[in-house]
Amino acid sequence: MIKNYFKIAWRNLIKNKGLSFINLSGLALGMAVVILIGLWIYDEVTFNQNHENYDRIAHVLMNKTSSNGDKRTRFTMPFPLGNELRDKYGDNFDYVVMSSFHGDNIISIDNKSLTKLGGFMEPDALRMLSLRMIYGDWDGLKNPNSVVISQSTSKALFGDINPIGKPLKISNLLDVFVTGVYQDIPFNATFNNLEFIAPWELYVTSHSWVRYARDNNFWDNNSYQLYVQIADGRNMKLVNAKIKDAVYDNLSGNSKKSHPELVLHPMKDWHLRSDWKNGVNVGGFIQYVWLFGIIGLFVLLLACINFMNLSTAQSEKRAKEVGVLKSIGSSKKQLINQFLSESFLVVVLAFILAISIVFLAIPSFNQLADKQIVFPYKNILFWLINIGFVIVTSLLAGSYPAFYLSSFRPVKVLKGGFKAGKSATSFRKTLVVVQFAVSVMLVIGTIVVKKQINHSKNRPIGYEQEGLVMIGKVTEDYEGKYNVLRSELLNTGAIENMSESSSPLTDVWSSGGGFEWQGKDPNFLTNIVTVCVSHDYGKTVGWNIAKGRDFSRTFSTDSTAFILNEAAVKYMGIKDPIGKTIRWNNQDHKVIGVVKNILTESPFQPVKQAVYMIKYDNTNWIELKLNPSKSASESLAAIKTVFNKHAPNVPFEYQFVDETFAEKFIAEERIRKLSTIFSFFAIFISCLGLFGLASFIVEQRTKEIGIRKVVGASVFNLWKLLSKDFITLVILATIIAIPLAYYGVNNWLDNYEYRTEVSWWVFVTVGIGAIVVTLTTVSFQAIKAANTNPIKSLKTE
Amino acid sequence: MLLEIKDLFKWVNSGGNRIFLLNDIELTINEGDFISIMGPSGSGKTTLLNIIGMLDDFNEGEYNFLNEPVHTLKEKYRANLYKEYIGFVFQSYHLIDELTVYENIETPLLYKNYKSSERKSLVADMLDRFNIVGKKDLFPSQLSGGQQQIVGIARALISNPKLILADEPTGNLNSKQGEEIMNLFKQLNNDGVTIIQVTHSEKNATYGSRIINLLDGMIV
Repeated sequence: MIKNYFKIAWRNLIKNKGLSFINLSGLALGMAVVILIGLWIYDEVTFNQNHENYDRIAHVLMNKTSSNGDKRTRFTMPFPLGNELRDKYGDNFDYVVMSSFHGDNIISIDNKSLTKLGGFMEPDALRMLSLRMIYGDWDGLKNPNSVVISQSTSKALFGDINPIGKPLKISNLLDVFVTGVYQDIPFNATFNNLEFIAPWELYVTSHSWVRYARDNNFWDNNSYQLYVQIADGRNMKLVNAKIKDAVYDNLSGNSKKSHPELVLHPMKDWHLRSDWKNGVNVGGFIQYVWLFGIIGLFVLLLACINFMNLSTAQSEKRAKEVGVLKSIGSSKKQLINQFLSESFLVVVLAFILAISIVFLAIPSFNQLADKQIVFPYKNILFWLINIGFVIVTSLLAGSYPAFYLSSFRPVKVLKGGFKAGKSATSFRKTLVVVQFAVSVMLVIGTIVVKKQINHSKNRPIGYEQEGLVMIGKVTEDYEGKYNVLRSELLNTGAIENMSESSSPLTDVWSSGGGFEWQGKDPNFLTNIVTVCVSHDYGKTVGWNIAKGRDFSRTFSTDSTAFILNEAAVKYMGIKDPIGKTIRWNNQDHKVIGVVKNILTESPFQPVKQAVYMIKYDNTNWIELKLNPSKSASESLAAIKTVFNKHAPNVPFEYQFVDETFAEKFIAEERIRKLSTIFSFFAIFISCLGLFGLASFIVEQRTKEIGIRKVVGASVFNLWKLLSKDFITLVILATIIAIPLAYYGVNNWLDNYEYRTEVSWWVFVTVGIGAIVVTLTTVSFQAIKAANTNPIKSLKTE
Repeated sequence: MLLEIKDLFKWVNSGGNRIFLLNDIELTINEGDFISIMGPSGSGKTTLLNIIGMLDDFNEGEYNFLNEPVHTLKEKYRANLYKEYIGFVFQSYHLIDELTVYENIETPLLYKNYKSSERKSLVADMLDRFNIVGKKDLFPSQLSGGQQQIVGIARALISNPKLILADEPTGNLNSKQGEEIMNLFKQLNNDGVTIIQVTHSEKNATYGSRIINLLDGMIV
């Protein structure tokens, strides 16, 4: 019996090759999308789960209240906080780990030096992060002159040998020896790129300002990170409530004003819930996980619905078979089984196709989504879920045709009087409207994301990115060599200018308060970005002086002068700022110029108020303006020679400012790419739905089309007749989608302070696009029907 | 002479055998004729009617309609020809279920691009002529079979054709309704419309002026 079911099912599949192909590929594509989204969501929600105690680890953050009542959430902690938590609240924690900010450092052995990302952490870090040690153990950081390195770092430096005990130099300065090697931290983890960990103690002893903080129990400076693992059985929220005021209680006087409150940010939320608004966690990337999850479910549902539609569109043809089978004694149950086996066969074939698509698509999907998802073919759970998925899908997709077709009355269908009811048509119409509404929303969303990116990319940045190169002063080797480097580089002709600064052009590294000026409200707590630069900074980066003048060597007083950006002028509310005096750090600073805002941070936010000042001993970055008349590679080779001469043990590493700047758009670009792809699938699947509906309606109206043709309708007349209904449906879908999409994209754009407008042309374009797509899809069926010889369709008598 | 068919053949190939649906048909029909085509099931009556109505094509032979060689005409021109001169009446009426009586009758005019006012007066005339003014807003399913067929005939006549092709027009009707329809045809014929009907009924055939008997695709 079962064999018979599949035999008939298979023959039906072969008989209607075109329809079967559409049906199968539509379903396969839908399934492939769902599997991919499923893998992606799994990867997102298992972020950081490689750490055994990930549910008890937290990052300590601090909410500070500014003078206008806003709470800002900060990552930096004061030095004594680690010990404070250990001493006073110790029973709440398994581990308290102070850590430096992780950054690029030079790691060198005798003949090799590499730039590796790493940081200085207290010894418990290894235990807390449950690193998988290949050599050495979790006590590796107890000795202050030790370092533990990742497997790939070890390989890059030492090859395949066991490196325990080998000496290393960090930043060409600190002598340490290897005490452990850990397996590389997986890609979907926050600490993924942590390539070495050195002892916190070493950080303290090697940096004078950190030593100062330790020796003076200095609560007023926040420069460090703090991680904790709460004790087993403790509730993180309760622990958080206990330690909330640990910093506040230790402050005095003015510092108390901002009322710092500690917040524990659990490791499981680091990745997906990283946005803070007014001191409260407001989610983050999790919204995209939800969004894409919903889209995935929707895609599957649409694919199933289309499958049902296309199957039932053939119902009139199949009705005869049902009639014959029933009249020779088939029971309703057997018919249901027949149709279910048919749908099961198609779903299994579609699933095999889907798995192949997923297998082939994973590499490009990974690239697109910046993931390292592997096809989990060894995972039994994955296959079990998929088998369940196949069964559910075949029931979902097959149930309607099965129950619908099997309930036909044999006499009626054999006599040829069968006709699907009106309700079946309106059900299908509703589905098409829903599908198109979703597609239209997705397309509008995609266009708006693209528009927002373009809008932010085209905003004025305030300097010239062309040929601008940044080099980090990662070691002391560059100190005091400004003039000699500059003159030698200029002599090579490779550059037009060179300068130095404390912050890179693509970020803000320091900001501070304590600025006073005439007319300032005494209660106003200032916070202004401070950038220390060399005299040549403006000319090198090509900033635009709006008022006053640039720094100049001819005025010795410029050593204490300020240049403000336009945002700072507005922030301070100073009219006519040139020549005014600003008091900061117990010193008077004369404002000599105002520059147009330089965009250093997020291109989606307004530029912050900033002051620029001359200071040669506090710079971290070198900027070079390449000579435009020479090729970049030639110039860089010449520059490298000069750098190697003056800092022989430092690898020459540089970045083009425009490339670093472009990285600011990565998250948005990724969303754009993903939403483009999903829109494409949604449109494709909607078109399949439309195609199914069209074939169903054409099937239903065959007789009418025949009659109309006989009484004189031309192909064009019939095409118009058939397309009109669909156009109405799609216009309806567009009208439903537009307000929803408008609400959605506005909500999304609210994340950005520097945002584009949602213009009417977006909606018009998408509406017209939807109509064109509809006409193309429907025309195929309509023209085919209109060209059919009417005697065929009227030959029922 | 309205139409002329010479040496017409139509066949299908089935498993290597050529099966003739129509075999060497010779036929001349003059304006004002009322022809009945008779013959057993499968003898090719409907096929012949469809060919005359230009809905079906043939494999060999000549077909001249009003001195136009139909077999050499392009599809579009042929469509214009039958739109202009031919009306169809079917056994199962083939009205459009979703349209009212009025709209059903009006449909052919829409496809011939008549103006709205012209359409109105033409349809009103037709409703008047067949005494169905009171039923103009009803749907086909609300009418009896005989009434539906009257609407079908009215639709066939609306564009004032020279030739009416009727495929068993009384096949679905009882004898009284059938008689009514046949009388209607007789009357139309008297008014100068050429009629070709396919029928099984000897009685209906007697309404016509000439009977063509078909057997296995041949005129006997």
